[in-house]
Parts: sequence; C-alpha cells; structure tokens
Amino acid sequence: MIDLWNQLMGGFATAGTPINLLWAFLGCVIGTGIGVLPGLGPAVTVAMLLPITSQVEPTASMIFFAGIYYGAMYGGSTTSILLNTPGETGTMVTALEGFKMAKSGRAGAALATAAIGSFVAGTIATILVTLFAPVVADFAVTLGPPEYFLLMLLAFTTVSAVLGKSTLRGMTSLFIGLALGLIGLDQITGQVRYTAGVPEFMDGIETVLVAVGLFAVGETLYMALYEGRSKQEINKLSSVHMTRGEWKRSIPAWLRGTLIGFPFGTIPAGGSEIPTFLSYAVERKLSKHQHEFGTTGAIEGVAGPEAANNAAVTATLVPLLTLGIPTSVTAAILLSALQNYGIQAGPQLFTTSSTLVWALIASLYIGNVMLLVLNLPLVGLWVKLLKIPKPQLYAGILIFATVGVYGMRQSAFDLFLMLGLGLAGVVMRRFDFPTAPIVVGMILGPLAEAQGRNALSIGSGHWGVFVERPLSLGLLGLLAAVLVLPKLWKLLQLRKRVG
Amino acid sequence: MLAALSRLHIATAGRLGSGPALGPKPNTEMPMSGLPNQSSQTLVGAGVGIVGAVMAWGATFISSDAGYAGVGPNALPWLVSAVLIICGGWLVWEARSGGYREMEEPSGAASGDWPAVVWVVGGIVANASLITTIGFILSCGLCFALAVRGLRVAEGQGGGGLKRSVIDLLTGVAIAAPVFWMFTKLLAINLPGLTASGWL
Repeated sequence: MIDLWNQLMGGFATAGTPINLLWAFLGCVIGTGIGVLPGLGPAVTVAMLLPITSQVEPTASMIFFAGIYYGAMYGGSTTSILLNTPGETGTMVTALEGFKMAKSGRAGAALATAAIGSFVAGTIATILVTLFAPVVADFAVTLGPPEYFLLMLLAFTTVSAVLGKSTLRGMTSLFIGLALGLIGLDQITGQVRYTAGVPEFMDGIETVLVAVGLFAVGETLYMALYEGRSKQEINKLSSVHMTRGEWKRSIPAWLRGTLIGFPFGTIPAGGSEIPTFLSYAVERKLSKHQHEFGTTGAIEGVAGPEAANNAAVTATLVPLLTLGIPTSVTAAILLSALQNYGIQAGPQLFTTSSTLVWALIASLYIGNVMLLVLNLPLVGLWVKLLKIPKPQLYAGILIFATVGVYGMRQSAFDLFLMLGLGLAGVVMRRFDFPTAPIVVGMILGPLAEAQGRNALSIGSGHWGVFVERPLSLGLLGLLAAVLVLPKLWKLLQLRKRVG
Repeated sequence: MLAALSRLHIATAGRLGSGPALGPKPNTEMPMSGLPNQSSQTLVGAGVGIVGAVMAWGATFISSDAGYAGVGPNALPWLVSAVLIICGGWLVWEARSGGYREMEEPSGAASGDWPAVVWVVGGIVANASLITTIGFILSCGLCFALAVRGLRVAEGQGGGGLKRSVIDLLTGVAIAAPVFWMFTKLLAINLPGLTASGWL
C-alpha cells in the first residue's frame, strides 16, 4: 500500500512538470473540442496525431492522448444534449434524456450533471485503476501464450459478435480487419504476406490510415453523398447550475453509474455501449419521477449513463496497460501508439515502464480536474464551435486527415489508400456494418496470431495446449458462453412470446 | 449473470425503440441510389466473397513452414479467406431472401448526391497526386476548396462562382499553413513543401 502511494506520488511528480501539464491541458482542450464537433471522435483524432510519436517522448504523448480520449467524452455529452447527435456510441443514451431536458429549457442542469457526473465517475474510476491495475498486472505475469490467445479471441468475439445487431456483419467486419492486419511481414517467420510487390505494403498498413480513412474520410464522403440536406436544431443554452433537488437526484445516479460502468470497461466487452444502456435501464426503474422519462427529460437518465460512460472509458486502461488488450477503438489506437515506441503493453509494462504508467495514471486525476473547469464555466465557448458551417468543417477535417496519414510515412500512395478506405467506410455505414471490429481486428490480429502460434509451439503442435491448462480451459468456457448464451436467450424469449 | 445482462440490454433496446436511430426497423428504402435494395446488398455480399477469394489465391503463395507450432504463416490467411468467402455467400443469401437481417435504417437521404461526392473525391485525389510537387499547403488548400464546393452542393446551395472558390482556396491555405508550420517547425515532422524553406 505504501509502495503504491509512493509510485503514485512519483507519477504526480512526472505528470506535474510544466511541460507534461501543458501536454495534458492541450489534450483536454483538443479532446473537448473534437468531442463537441460532429465528425471527429477521439479515435480518429489520436490516430491523426500518431505521427508525433516519432518526435515527442512517450510519457508526454501518452498523457496528451489520454487527455484527448477523456476530453472527447466530456465534449461529446455537450453535443448530445444540445444537438441530439451523439458523436460516440457511449453518449447515445445521454442524448435520449439530455436532449429532452434541453428542449424543456433545462439544458444547463443537464450539462452540469453530465460534467460533474463525468468528473465524479472519472475520479472514482481512476482510483480503482490505481488500486487494481498493479494487482491485475501481477496476476497477468503468470499468463502464458495460450491464455493470451484466448483472451484476445474473447475480445474479438465481444467486439464483433455480441455488440452489433447482426453477428454475420460483425464477423465480416472483424475478418476484413484481420485481413488488413495480415498485410506485411509475418511476426514470427518474417515471411512476406499479401504485399503484391508494392513496397509500401512491406511494413503493413498503418493504423492511422485505416482509422482516418474509415472514420474521418468516410464520414465526409457520407455527408456529401447522403446527409447534405439533413437539418438540425440546436437547443438553447441555459445557465449551468443544478438546484438542491437536482443534486439529490444526481448523486446516487452518478455512483450507481460508476459501479455499473467500471467492470464493463475492464473486461473485453467492447467499450461503453452496454454499461450506458444498463445504467439508463436501472435509473429508469429506480426513479421516483417516472413521468419525466421520455417526456420532459429526467436528470437521472443523464447523470447515470454519463457516469457509466466515463467509468467504463477509464477502466479500459486496465486491460490495455496490464494485458495489452484493447477493448475499444481508441484503446486499440493507444496500443498502436505504444507499439510505435517499441513499448510492449502487458504485465511487464508496470516494471519496465513504470514511470510512464504512473505518470499516465496521475495525469488522469489532473485531467479530470482540468476538464471540469474547461467544461462547466466555459461551456458557452464550446457551444460556439457548433456554429462552424458543415462544409468548411468537413473539408477542414480532410486537411487534418492528410497531415496524419502523410505525416506517418511520407507517402502519397497512402493518401490514395485513405480514399479507398473512405469509400469502403461509406458502404459499411450504408449497409450497417460495424466499423470498430475492423480497427480492433487489424491491431489485435497480428498479436493474437503470434500468441496462438507460440501457444501451439509450446504444445509442440498439439491443440490440447488450450484445454490442459486450467485457466485457459476456463477462458475457453467463457468464450463459448459469450458466443452461445445471448443467442440462446433470444431464442428462449422468442419461444416465450410465441407460446 | 450474462443471461441477466443480455435480458436487460434487450429490454432497454426494446423500450428505446421509438428513439432516433435505435431499434431494428424493416429496411424498405434504397441504400444506394440507382440500384434496388436487394441488388445492392447482393453486390456488397459478392464483394466480400471476392475479397475472400483473392485472399485465398494470395494464400497459395505463402509458405506453410510450420516449425514446432504445427501451423505456419499461411494458417491465418487460409482461415481469413475461408471465413470471408462463407460470410460473403451468407450475405448474398440474406440479400436474396428478403434483405440483410436486423438492419438499421441508414441515416440521411434515400438516394446519393453523386455530383457532390465527385467534388469531394476530386479534392482528395488532387491532393494525393499533387502534394509532393506543389507542397502541403497549396495542395491542401486546393483539396479544401474542392471539398467545400462539393459539400455546399450537397446542402443544395450551389457551388458558388469564381470569387467564392478563391475565398475557399484562401481559407484552406489559412487552415493548412499553421498546421504545416506546427508540424515542420515545432515537431520536426516531415511534410512536403513547395520550397525547401519549411515555410511554404
């Protein structure tokens, strides 16, 4: 315990240097901005800024990226409440009640409960990360390639099969992501795969290229093609404060949301969609103000899901830092940022790069305070961003996309690839294919393949290696349960309805 | 516990069904202009299948040297191509038998605004082809001007005249220039310039 405290204080010392504070602040500002603006999410933004990994030292850039990740969650709720266009799946539920509250003139209270709830949940979740991450890391050291391989399979399954509505389209996306990950050199034998003689393909396809192509360019093309004439109304901002009664209703909702959100972030269950929905369901059930839900907007319906969202986002750092397994798109891109530095995320991270890890954790505490200040009194400033006309906004995004993609490898060929992926992104969005499995598949795919083949090497080619070890057998069972149970449940529900 | 969870999830999703973009709805409109629903879905499914087939063809060139593992560098490629072919076939089957299952209605207009998107694509292509010769700032400025024009056409405002385009070009340059300076001067990241000065 004393040890933990000392390490955390060490982290604060590193994160508290003026230059690192500046990076954290910059990250929070950029994050809030892109969270407010439609068209850009934290994943694409971090991806676009990946070129800086060649120049900026790892601790500073991870603090910076974490600030963006966090800030986008705060900013995203502002847009959900005022504009009813959730930028992130995590803030989708906020839009439900938040927009209704804003419509009935309580935008200020909705924004306040979202921001303070994010702060409360973010801080509690960071404390939990501080306490649990080292424990998980200690445990993770005992895991071998078979367990890692199965954990990664679990992450694939939850991201592609469980979350989307159609398992078939989720699986298709995942395997296209895996296919993209295959391009380049095989990690174990150094064999060249799928390069078609193009030298640019030798190093594989850059993460930034796929993320920026699919999300930023895809979004811009989709905008031009289909959404030019969609009109939006912006709700009026009212003064940002909560009454005593609203505080009383918000506080328990924040705490419940945090409790629901955190566990979901730590398991490979693909981010914050399920916990936010779950928190909404719980609040709706427990509320004494049932009539407000879906009509004038209930404050619990904003407070709970917002807290759940932030807690889940913070908790994704646990599997990312201790196991090297990303459970959301942004986490996957943070992982590839670490890879750019040659840092292997995993249990060893806590010993080999302990300065970085603890500075990152400390910066989360600092970032939460910065974001509260940036978002509560200054919310009026951020709302002005929504006045940027759409054509200029999306065309501007293309400039930043170019910086990220070209800056990574200095290759104009990549810009053509980016356009190709953008067109693919339009098709995927139009035909309701989920995009997250592509990014996760592409980044986690090569790692999973290496772990799988290493595991089989340990078992000298026998697949029994996955069932002989008790832990991997347990994981195998969990994997089967995750795949089968939801379907079985749906089937039972159907039968009940029919019978 | 998982079962309880998914029940809650499904229950919420059901109740929220009236909200925007939530809950499955029968997809009756045409996702891509010009083609009826079924044909375009079939086309996408076939595309996935073709990707799988190409992957399989590529996999034949990869060595199967397995070492101790029993599976070599060609194992995952074969698996991926097989699954993609199956998924493609399945998608085609779904498309032919009443359309993709559990589709969410795509947002936006029923048919695409192709002239608008051609301007945007043109901007990106121009940028990709010219960036190494005329430099980052000018090339991005041009990309911005073309893309803004396309997006404005999409909003139904019309592209605007020459004066408008000059203003757009200058706006694009005004956005690109500080970005360029920040990356080349402050972060020392290479971006192509028209001159070697690092300023343009």
